[in-house]
Amino acid sequence: MSESLFRISPGFEEVMPVEYRELVTNGPCGREVGVSDLGTFKELIEEHPLCAGCNMGLALRLILASLPKPEDTVIVGSTGCSSLAFTQVAVHNIHSLFGNQNAVASGLKRALRLRFPDKVKDVVVIAGDGATVDIGLDMVMQSWFRRERITTIMLDNEVYANTGGQESGMSPQGTVLNMAPLGKRFPKVALPEIAREAGCAYVATISPAQPKRLERMVRRAILTAREVGPTYVQIFCPCPTNFKFRPNEGLQKIKQRQKEGTFQVREYVSPEAQAFLAELEGADHEK
Amino acid sequence: MYVAAKVEVEKCTGCKLCILSCPEPNVLRYLPETKQVAVNQQRCKGCGLCVTVCSKDALTVSSI
Ligand SMILES: Cc1ncc(C[n+]2csc(CCOP(=O)(O)OP(=O)(O)O)c2C)c(N)n1
Ligand code: SF4
Ligand SMILES: [Mg+2]
Repeated sequence: MSESLFRISPGFEEVMPVEYRELVTNGPCGREVGVSDLGTFKELIEEHPLCAGCNMGLALRLILASLPKPEDTVIVGSTGCSSLAFTQVAVHNIHSLFGNQNAVASGLKRALRLRFPDKVKDVVVIAGDGATVDIGLDMVMQSWFRRERITTIMLDNEVYANTGGQESGMSPQGTVLNMAPLGKRFPKVALPEIAREAGCAYVATISPAQPKRLERMVRRAILTAREVGPTYVQIFCPCPTNFKFRPNEGLQKIKQRQKEGTFQVREYVSPEAQAFLAELEGADHEK
Repeated sequence: MYVAAKVEVEKCTGCKLCILSCPEPNVLRYLPETKQVAVNQQRCKGCGLCVTVCSKDALTVSSI
């Protein structure tokens, strides 16, 4: 598979939707475009049904623009708000049973390595915080223990948003939600620390308020997963609908949490990943 | 949608900050000819995030 993924069979150009044709003539595949070029090329995501002002929608746009090789990437998703957007994503993607995403991704990555031994195929999990830290934690941890060469990206809105507002392991202590009226009784799970201890070669926390940094982290995570080991990126994307703030306040909310110290941008790179990235980025620099 | 963002061409400097703050794909586009940003109002949900990042006050959200 390559850029030819989107090619239209001769004679069918006229009947394909205009959005698809634009993907062929002005899509990102096979070109050196990234987050800074957004707005000048046809994105790999189309009009989606996420709420107005959804930070997860923004995070998804940024992640998709950051993929090092979208035409050779398979995304594994899970149930939740993000899954509503994946029907509009022009990258191979699998919707797995809620919580199973890292097991599906592990098997898929192994199968792709057998099937295409000479090619690079990136397998990237993109799932909500509930799917990652609660219901799928077993599969997430096993994929890290076993050093599966996959990237796990959590869209952390600190709530089970799609089912109307239950607390998740990632909700901060005291969080009151539609279906957590008494407030959460235990603290936010320290999944980045757990990821590091469980064997991830690269771990980062970021938000869509810093798009270029997000791009760099997603790329580093995916490239490290190719050669070194499992990687984890946690993206903080507050949900206006469940936390009941205005749709235009999302980015301010992130900054406010940063100021309070309850959200921090962090990066951990294992020594092996450090050596790998230094070589890779050094070579890029010389180009 | 019923409300959507609008660009004031006199104020837009084409910095593209708004494009990197919009949750909607392909809605804010950069036009290299004019070096400015344009909105696809049919697809804009009017959330107003772009307004909060524009330092030139070139964006507003109103009924369409
Ligand atoms: C096996 C299974 N259990 C429960 C559900 C119900 N369910 C659907 S979405 C969801 C919450 C998702 O929360 P999260 O992963 O944080 O994603 P968000 O909607 O917040 O993006 C739940 C519990 C389901 N679909 N399948
Ligand atoms: S409920 Fe929250 S996370 Fe889900 S689409 Fe709406 S704003 Fe986004
Ligand atoms: Mg969630």
